[in-house]
Amino acid sequence: MEIAALGIDVGSTTVKMVAVNRAGALVWDYLEPVAPRVSRQVDDFLAKLGAKIGSLAEIPLVATGYGRNLVQQARQSKTEISCHAHGVFQELGHGGTLIDIGGQDSKVIVIGARGRILDFAMNDKCAAGTGRFLENSAARMQIPVAEMGAVALTATEEFTITSTCTVFAESEIISLLAQGVAVEPILMGLHRALVKRVAAMVRSVGLVPPLLLSGGVVKNPAIRKVIADETGEEVFVPTHPQLMGALGAALFALKLAD
Amino acid sequence: MPINIPQRKAVIQDIKSRGGMVAAVLPIHYPRALLRAFNIFPVEVWGPPRVDVSLGGSQLQSYVCAIVQNALSFIKMGALEIADLILIPHTCDSLQGLTSLLIDMVKPPSPVFPLYLPRGRREEDVIFLAEELQSLYAGLAELTGRRPTDAELLAAIAREELCDQLSGRLYEQRQTLGLGNLDFYRLLRSREYLPAEEFAALAESALAVEAAPLPGTPLLLSGILPEPMMVLDLIEEMKGLVVADDFAGCGRRLYRPGLSPEPFRRLAESLVAAPPDPTRGNAIGDRVQFLVEMAAKTYARGVIFYEVKFCEPELFDLPELRAALKERGLVSLHIEVDINNPLPQQTATRIGAFLEMLNH
Ligand code: SF4
Repeated sequence: MEIAALGIDVGSTTVKMVAVNRAGALVWDYLEPVAPRVSRQVDDFLAKLGAKIGSLAEIPLVATGYGRNLVQQARQSKTEISCHAHGVFQELGHGGTLIDIGGQDSKVIVIGARGRILDFAMNDKCAAGTGRFLENSAARMQIPVAEMGAVALTATEEFTITSTCTVFAESEIISLLAQGVAVEPILMGLHRALVKRVAAMVRSVGLVPPLLLSGGVVKNPAIRKVIADETGEEVFVPTHPQLMGALGAALFALKLAD
Repeated sequence: MPINIPQRKAVIQDIKSRGGMVAAVLPIHYPRALLRAFNIFPVEVWGPPRVDVSLGGSQLQSYVCAIVQNALSFIKMGALEIADLILIPHTCDSLQGLTSLLIDMVKPPSPVFPLYLPRGRREEDVIFLAEELQSLYAGLAELTGRRPTDAELLAAIAREELCDQLSGRLYEQRQTLGLGNLDFYRLLRSREYLPAEEFAALAESALAVEAAPLPGTPLLLSGILPEPMMVLDLIEEMKGLVVADDFAGCGRRLYRPGLSPEPFRRLAESLVAAPPDPTRGNAIGDRVQFLVEMAAKTYARGVIFYEVKFCEPELFDLPELRAALKERGLVSLHIEVDINNPLPQQTATRIGAFLEMLNH
């Protein structure tokens, strides 16, 4: 395995690391829940990779994500906005409007035809419009997060959740369940509440088609469907939506290797 | 070059020890010279930040901005008792509400003077403001027992006009003063409490330096005030350089001198002709033009709107303003801050991403 550069994305819930070859293709990746001591966790990642391919001393590493400044091993850090845009552009080969829904924040990035960021918006103040919104709701409804989307899509009707605030939505769920409303329509309503929040961000930057999705949350099929409904656009998802930040970081690292 | 700026507290004590009076002045526009002609020294109260807001919070809605919440708390703590008067320009509904609260309910020991500002730049606005200034003069005369002559008023006006001119030159020479973002704004903002003579001396010594141009991606900032000020260091760490601003407390107070030889009218002309400001009802188109021209003149590549949370006049216009700037090719970033808290990591990410975007 030829490795020319490494990228690491320290998110609020998971750490993702990828390696790319000289052509910028993803050749290795690793993902696990974020540990409190990020630097030690990165050492473990590097040891795992080193055991496979030998010394990594000369291979440049760029860090991104919420905890990027904690990665002492990185030669450089870049914001997740730039890295996600870079990763998705490389993976899909065109610009558009990228929605990235992460565990703790969500972002909308307009990427130009040559991969340049033209504008962006970020929701980083509260859990509304982020993965945390679904996680909280899943916990309240005792449904595994990974199954939420599939269960929601079995709904034959949808119940409107009026609140996009995670705390208020939880109260709404409790009261709906107490009224005997079935789980599936509530779940569908929750997905729509999240997406409405993200759609407002899309409107704030101005949608430039096509619509691209990244982040762990887009593995959820109901999210993809509701985003398409709300924006009226077909959505494009890269093969590894969760790794786009780390891939972008690795691509920036590749420039350092040159 | 670090600049040695006297501390606000020491300045107030010095004024008092020399028999001067102190006016606590709330944001934004007011006639400095008129106060000085009465030997009253304005000390501005922009909040202040990091005050325990629980005292003020009990009488204000939670969606009132922190400048007003803090000011009320500060007054209720007794911290403004050193002031001989409180002047509150009618900048926005929140400040007007504060004036009523103080006059009708809180009744602080120092008298409260409201100042009504016109919402336009027409001849009638100049006339209205000149009359307002005359009634402020009458109120101050009653308070102090003094009646400054026209010559005294004009002398005070000349001192402040010199400071306005020096502030303008600081902006013009911004990139060769050798001052980082934070030092530049500490210097500019010292005029919030320094007497004109002291500010002029500081500004002149700063202007005497001719340093190599500072590196960094040129940026404009806009909003009410650069508070928390740590944003300035943060921008510098991320290799950005604030080259000019449209802050209500800084760039929007670069007043040009009035034309009239009559003091009240001259003051009014100067205030009315100040750069466009949403708190004075100026049209969005004027602000767009002003910002686009400022960016062209300073080679700024983008604007960061660094806004005080819940500031209604600023936030109301912002979506339309940003969209219009975008159409004119000037990209912007919007950050809302709580002046009482340190900046969150997310703010650093947004600013970092914005600079990366500008440099791509
Ligand atoms: S921050 Fe805005 S709302 Fe608050 S006092 Fe200033 S202008 Fe008024």
